[in-house]
Parts: sequence; structure tokens; C-alpha cells
Amino acid sequence: MRNTIEFKVYGDYALFTDPLTKLGGEKMSYQIPTYQAMKGIVESIYWKPTIVMVVDAIRIMKPIKMESKGMRPIEYSGGNSLAHYTYLRDVCYHVRAHFEFNPHRPDLAFDRNEGKHYAILKRSLEAGGRRDIFLGARECQAYVEPIEFDQGEGFYDGVDLHFGTMVHGFNYPDETGVNELAVRLWHPVMKNGVITFTRPEDCSLVQPIKKMQAKTFTADDIEPVDLLHEQL
Amino acid sequence: MSVWQQLYETYNQHLDEVGKSESRWEGKTFTLLPISHTTQTAHITVNITPNGEFHTAEVIEKGGGNTLIPSTEDSSSRAGSVIAPYPLHDKLPYVAGDYEAFGGVYKKDNAYQVYINNLKKWSESSHGFDRLKSIYTYLQKGRLIEDLVNEKVLFTETDGTLKWTWKDKEEKPKIYSIVTGGMEGAFIRFHVHSSEQLYKEPWQDSEFYQSFIAYYAEQAGDSTLCFVTGEQKVGSTKHANKIRNAGDKAKLISANDSSGFTYRGRFDKASEAATISYEVSQKAHNALKWLIQRQGKLIDQRVFLVWGSQVTEMPSAVDSTFSLAALFNDVEEKEVFDTNRDGARAFSDALIGYKRKLPQQTVNILIIDAATTGRLAILYYRSFDQEQYFKRLESWHTEHPWEYVYFDREKKRRVFIGAPSLHDIATAAYGPRANEKLIKATVERLVPCVVDGRIVPDDVRRCLIQRASNPVGLEAWEWEKTLQIACGMINKKEGMTVALDSNLKDRDYLFGRLLALADYLERKALGKENRSTNAIRYMNAFSQNPARTWLTIQSALQPYQAKLGGKVTYINKLIDEVGSQLDPSDFTNKPLSGKYLLGFYSQRHDLYQKREETNLSNEESVEA
Repeated sequence: MRNTIEFKVYGDYALFTDPLTKLGGEKMSYQIPTYQAMKGIVESIYWKPTIVMVVDAIRIMKPIKMESKGMRPIEYSGGNSLAHYTYLRDVCYHVRAHFEFNPHRPDLAFDRNEGKHYAILKRSLEAGGRRDIFLGARECQAYVEPIEFDQGEGFYDGVDLHFGTMVHGFNYPDETGVNELAVRLWHPVMKNGVITFTRPEDCSLVQPIKKMQAKTFTADDIEPVDLLHEQL
Repeated sequence: MSVWQQLYETYNQHLDEVGKSESRWEGKTFTLLPISHTTQTAHITVNITPNGEFHTAEVIEKGGGNTLIPSTEDSSSRAGSVIAPYPLHDKLPYVAGDYEAFGGVYKKDNAYQVYINNLKKWSESSHGFDRLKSIYTYLQKGRLIEDLVNEKVLFTETDGTLKWTWKDKEEKPKIYSIVTGGMEGAFIRFHVHSSEQLYKEPWQDSEFYQSFIAYYAEQAGDSTLCFVTGEQKVGSTKHANKIRNAGDKAKLISANDSSGFTYRGRFDKASEAATISYEVSQKAHNALKWLIQRQGKLIDQRVFLVWGSQVTEMPSAVDSTFSLAALFNDVEEKEVFDTNRDGARAFSDALIGYKRKLPQQTVNILIIDAATTGRLAILYYRSFDQEQYFKRLESWHTEHPWEYVYFDREKKRRVFIGAPSLHDIATAAYGPRANEKLIKATVERLVPCVVDGRIVPDDVRRCLIQRASNPVGLEAWEWEKTLQIACGMINKKEGMTVALDSNLKDRDYLFGRLLALADYLERKALGKENRSTNAIRYMNAFSQNPARTWLTIQSALQPYQAKLGGKVTYINKLIDEVGSQLDPSDFTNKPLSGKYLLGFYSQRHDLYQKREETNLSNEESVEA
């Protein structure tokens, strides 16, 4: 696929919070990452409003393990409460993703220089990302490294698993062109250790949440890709 | 699959169990609750005739009041001054129309009016039926307290108001000792009594359940996307509590973002962050409560639960080989408990035999606990293919097992080969007086050792070695148990057997054997005298400074060797033999690893085994 990168992301802990456990504050992780969490990681490597990152597939390299920790989350009113957070332990995923230009950003059409964006993306990945990487929650630091997707042995090679209903991600106005925030659900299936993501616009289980406006950008707010590419 | 989905499916697999009462411990019954129902303790049963007339009333004996009642979302979570009646059975202020007339005070609204209107709607709906209508017909007359007073169940003061509490010295009527607090807390249940036909009691009658479930489903609110099934269904915002026990207020799903940073930021309301359908929430919670009461293991309120979605009973990952064997009741007991080396094999055969009886299904492991009183957290959740689960279980219990002595309920000494329960490992590591929190946390850490095949954490193993090396500080039986468990856990890493390996030239192992021989020799010389041997008393020092301590122990042995003379030649020989196997460069004061315990145990086991097995003539010939 055009403009594709392949990399591995790994860390000691991950917390892809199941929203049902988030309401009360005793967070527990999903067994696998959501599309949105993976997209966030790709966007941490390199992103501009001009482009949309699309995650194609992930490969689960290590066994899914859980570990709980006692936490002292901060309260609005000051002070702490006590909660149990349940994390995934020792995770590693191989990710395949690519970028496309955001069709809902005609205002940024001047910034669409595919070759240069791709070159910067690859160079950023080489460097470990332009922003720091975390797996689902800020306290779960992670690292990215370029690697071939099919390389190496995964724990679930040859294994198929169903994960029930999960959050896929959020529809934000700047990527859908609709002025609302919506949540997408899907039924992920792992085949031979690989989860192939449905594209966000193909998800059928969508629940609108609330009205929301896209942020506007002008040429003055952002640095054109041509300039950035020259600097690098 | 998510835990909610598994619980939901478990409920749907067991619809035929709904409403049936079961008991695990004597006197304590539980059921798989129908949706839109809950349980309450009732104090008075009021019998009503089919025409809606008062028949009789009786006070329910203590312990017999457990009643399955219909309930709405609001009523099941009512608190304080909120008026939210249960649909059918409820407390006196709700069900008695003459409550005010007898001096009762409503906090704000007239509870009876709300109650009777709701009951009217239900009984007049298309789901209403004759017996429900009889109850309604009677209650709308509003003369319940009057009838109860006439029936001499309740009593009045001289001014005609109800006697709320019984202050007189003379003997109390039954109802006043059963209801704690005043009579406003008396819970009334209704039953239709007919001389012509024997009706099932409403709290055991599926006609009542079905009628209310169907009626309540029609009251439906807005439908939302359910995060568990992905279907558009009527949502629920109030979720069940009383999950671990009847007094447990902690909820698994709650929303409390007025005070904590939980979902706010992107969302303003809890319903924006996640939604779950009423049906799924009810079924999943009911299934969870049922499973916990049925087969959950509680350590300091932390629940360890293993269940299968179709056949719920599952060999639990936290149990010992011994107690698991009880599950396989069709397997000959002796096979499993045999001390011979085939013990482990027999266990795995039994396990496979048991598995064969089960359908293909998913096995779930769930650990839940509450950090604070209000919220429950899922600390661990795994769902396994059954095949895989049994494989892991088998290898935990059969790979490198140790022998354990166990006293069963009849105080009979039993020996089994296998693995101890996780709770036993934790208490052996930290002692019987350890904080319960530490014990439950350790058990939780050990669960992945069983289900993921991880090795036992180093710190736990070190604690075990430490305590097993200190027999002086423990009672004899406690030390034996600790020693066995320590050996078992060391062995999970070393992969040996209980049987003595006389060719092993490992330094720590040989030192352990020496200690056992010294202990055996001295014990023999002491005869009936019941005191610790030098070997046992110096065990701790020996593990730290083996070479130096061995000199002390050996010199202390000399008088006993002299006393016993020719009777212990073979032991002296053995000591020499083991000593000669030790490489001179290994005879140092470097502290011993846990492996010395294996050498100690196996050597001792071997000596006592010989005494039991070899017949006397044989032993004499050795001694001669």
C-alpha cells in the first residue's frame, strides 16, 4: 500500500481502558488495543492536520497478561482516592499503517506533498517518533522501532480469537466532516495472530455523543511540509 | 471476549436455573435471579383469598424470610428519603393504605399512593393475571394494618396508633424481635391462598416473574448502543450492587465523576462515556452473583472465581491437588492420593477423565476486589480455551510435584503428590499471622504461575526457604508443612522428584543430605525423648555457613554414634559416602541455595521409607 510504514511498539505496561470500567474509576484494560490507541501512536510518530493516519493491522507478539496495581488518583476536590487499575503486562505489537490526505481539510490543500510527508514520516519513525509514545494511558511509556510486519515469531501465530464487542475509536469532526463526536464499536477477530482493522468509515456500530466543531487552521498556523522537509 | 459478554452468555446458557434455589453451605440459599428481580428478607406473609379478601397472616421465622421480589431500577437502588416502591412486596409504609391512620409519618410524599398506582398499572396491563389482581384488589382497600392488628400480628397503643416498638417488660410478640428497629421497617410479602387450588408462592412462581419482566420491559426508556453486545437496546444507568454478598455496596459499574477524574474531559456525562443495556447489565450481574455464591473463593473479600460458560463448575486454579481430586468423584480415591510415584500421573488421568465429561467451552478466570467501599475493580480476567486451561492446570499439578501431608476432615493423615493450594503457599511464605492483604495479594500474584505457566516469583520462593530453614521458630507440624511447600516451589524450578537421587553431585543437595543423616541418627539415639536434634537446631546456621556448622553438628553426633554402636553403621557409612561425594573445593561456608532443602527432604524421606518397606531381617543383615 502507498505511504505505508511498519514498526513494532513495545512497553512494560499498557492500559487500553474498557470504558465500562472507566465510569467509576476502577480502570481495566481491554485485552487488545483499540484502533484509536494505535492511531494515536502512529500520530505521535508524525502527524499534521493535512493527513489522516490509517492503521491497517496489528500483530500481537506476546501473550496477553494482566496485572493489577493500587493507584492513588487525584480528586477534583483535592486529595486522593484509592483505586485498582488493571494493566496489560509486557506487550509488543507489530503495526502496519499508512497515511492519506484529509479530504475534509481543503483549506490545507497547499500542504499536500505526498513524497515529502512520507519521507518525514519514515525519518521520524527511525528516530523513535516526534512525540513520546504511550500505550493507552500516559503512565504506560512505550517505544517504536521500524521493523518488518511479518518478521519474527509471534505468540499467537496460528491462533484465532474473538474479542467480543470493543470500542474501535472516535469520529472527530475534522476527519468526518460532520459536526459531532461519535463513538464506533466493532467486533475484533484475531486471525493467525493478526487483527486487521476495519476502516473507521466502514464501522457500522456508531453512536453519536455530542455536537462538536472542527478546529480551523490557516496557512499562518502551520508550517508547510516543504519548509519542514528543507529543515530536516 | 469481555467479561461482561461471558457473564451474559453464561446467564443465557442457564435460563433453566433461574429462580431455583440452591445451597452451598447449610442454611444459606441462593438463586440465579430473574432479571428485574432481587432478594429481600421478609418478615410477614399475608395470605389473600382469590377474591381479594384478607385470609391470614403469619410472622416468618428468622432465617426463613429470604424472598425473591420484583424490582425496578429505581427501587433496587433507593436510599434515604427517596420514594421508590418495589412493584409487589415491600415495607409497611409502602403497602399499607392505612399507614397514616395508624400514626405513620411519610417523609415527603405518600409512599402508598405511588406504590398502589404502580401496582394498578401492572395488574391492569396486558401482563396482569388473576392472582396479581387479587392482591391488588385487596391492597387498594387500604386496610392492611387494621387486618394485621386484628390478626394479632401487630399491636396498637392505647390511643389506637400502631405500637412501633415494644417497650414493655412483658414478653415481646414475635414480630418485634424479628424486625430490627421500628415497625416501619417490617417487610410484607403477599400470597394468594385458596382452598380449592394450591398456588405456588409468588416468590417461587415463574408466572409472576415472567409477568413482571414482560410488563417492565414495556416501560422501556430510550435505546442506546450497548457496549457489550453492540446492539441497540434500552440502556441502564443504575447497576447492581450486593455482588459479593448481601451487605456489599460496591458496584462493578458505577459513575461518580462529581469528585474524581474518571471520564470527564472528552465527555460531560457518564452516558456519553459508555452505555450498557438494561438486559445485559441485569443478566451479567445476576450471573456473577450466582457464580460467586456457587463456587467463588473469598480471601479477605477478594473473590477468586473460575467458571465455564456451559458447565460452570471448573477445577479452580487456586486449589491444591488434594481438594481438586474431590471434584473427580467418579475416580477411585486411592489412585489420586497414592504416595507412589504414579500419583501425579493418576491426577492427570483423573483430570483428563473429568474434562471428557465437559462440553467444548470457554473457561474464565476472574479476580475482583474493592479498594474502597463503593467500587469494585476487576483485578484479573482471562478467558481460555478449555483445552488450554486444562493443559496448564495439569502441568502445574504434575510437573515436578512434591508430596504433601494433609489431615482430612476426619483428622486422618493423608499424603498426596501434587501441588499445594495457592493460599497455602502464601501462608507458608509469610506465616499464619501475616496480614490478610499480603496473603490475598500473593495469591493473586501466584495465579499467573498456574494459568500462564510462569515460575513462582523469586521473593516468594526466598521467603519459603527462609522459613523452612528455621524449624526452631515453628511448631513441628507447621515446619513440616512449610518445608514441603518450600520443596515443592523450589522444585518447580529445579524439576526433580521426591525420590533420592544418590548420584547427584550438586553441593547444596549433598549438604542437605548430610543434614538429614545427622538428624536421623540423633533422632534414633534420642528414642522416646522428644526434643529437637542438633541438626534441626542448627539448620538455620547450617544454611548460612554449611562447612563451619557441619563441624559443630558432626562433633555433637559422636556421643550418639558411640551410644548406638553397631546399630547405625549403615548411617555412618552413608555419611562418609555423601561426604566423599562432596568436592573438597565445595566444602566452604558459602550460603546454601534452596536446593539443599530438596536434598534434606529426599534423604530423610528415603531413610524413613526404608524403615517402613524393608523387612526386619533385611535391615539386620545390613547392620550385622
